[in-house]
Amino acid sequence: MSRKRDRLQVIYDILSAINERDGKIKPTHILYRSNLSHQMMEEYLTELLAKELITQNVTKQGKTYSLTQKGFDYLNKYKLIIDFVDSFGLD
Amino acid sequence: MAHIYLVPGWFVGYDIALELAFAIITIIVSLYAFKIYRLSGQSQSRLFGLSFLFISISYVIQSLLNFAIMEQLEENISRAIALNNVALLNFIGIFIHIIFFMSALITLSYMTLRVRSAKVFSLLCAITFLALFFSTNKLTMYYVLASLMLIYICIHYLGNYWNNRQTKALLVFIGFVFLLFGTIHFIFSVNQAFYYFLGHALELIAYIFILINLILVVKK
Repeated sequence: MSRKRDRLQVIYDILSAINERDGKIKPTHILYRSNLSHQMMEEYLTELLAKELITQNVTKQGKTYSLTQKGFDYLNKYKLIIDFVDSFGLD
Repeated sequence: MAHIYLVPGWFVGYDIALELAFAIITIIVSLYAFKIYRLSGQSQSRLFGLSFLFISISYVIQSLLNFAIMEQLEENISRAIALNNVALLNFIGIFIHIIFFMSALITLSYMTLRVRSAKVFSLLCAITFLALFFSTNKLTMYYVLASLMLIYICIHYLGNYWNNRQTKALLVFIGFVFLLFGTIHFIFSVNQAFYYFLGHALELIAYIFILINLILVVKK
């Protein structure tokens, strides 16, 4: 499995975790579900926020993350993305 | 200097239709690549989409100018001024096609290098366009450079097939190999009419392979 495939898979895992929690999740749950180091998770969350796949909600209880429409689209089209990336050598 | 293609008489008109077909196939691939980029934010997809957009533009321009040449020849075949116009249109068409097609291959080669560096990209552009600009036989130089880049691109796609072992990856590899064959033979035969047809035929096979892969990806 290529490195990029892993990266796309990790993004899928994070977005799936958020989706399974009714679209809202705390960072600790993401850490648990994605099996990443804290630093790596922070990097991924920063990237996902920048790409507008998720949004961050800051409350008194702490930070939570939810999916954007783009995040839902990523989950729905994940197979298409992987097939396109793999066959056209974009990893 | 060799700045012309010799076109078989029976092939005039068909070449324009084929070039338009190549433009349509490549723009569809480009749009899908941009769609994947929008969904995933993956920069490789954006570069791939950009390179196929350049290829599409190169064929649109080539087909439009070939159409204009055909019109000139049909309307004013006996006039010397028409022949001058044809030569000028031919010259413009070839060079705009070369600029866009080379831009596409540079972008595609840069993508396969898997580096993120504006310096590397600008170096590829500078070497390619300076070599073309200072070459006495620009068309032959174009085919040499394009073939060289396509060899590296084919090696990338062979590696991609080797790693994935998927039919779809094989289709794309074969597609680029045909594109390489359609380019490399021109180095030795730029002024022979039959090879103009052969080049288009090989390109057609190449783009059909790429289109079949796209259909398989989208239909799944």
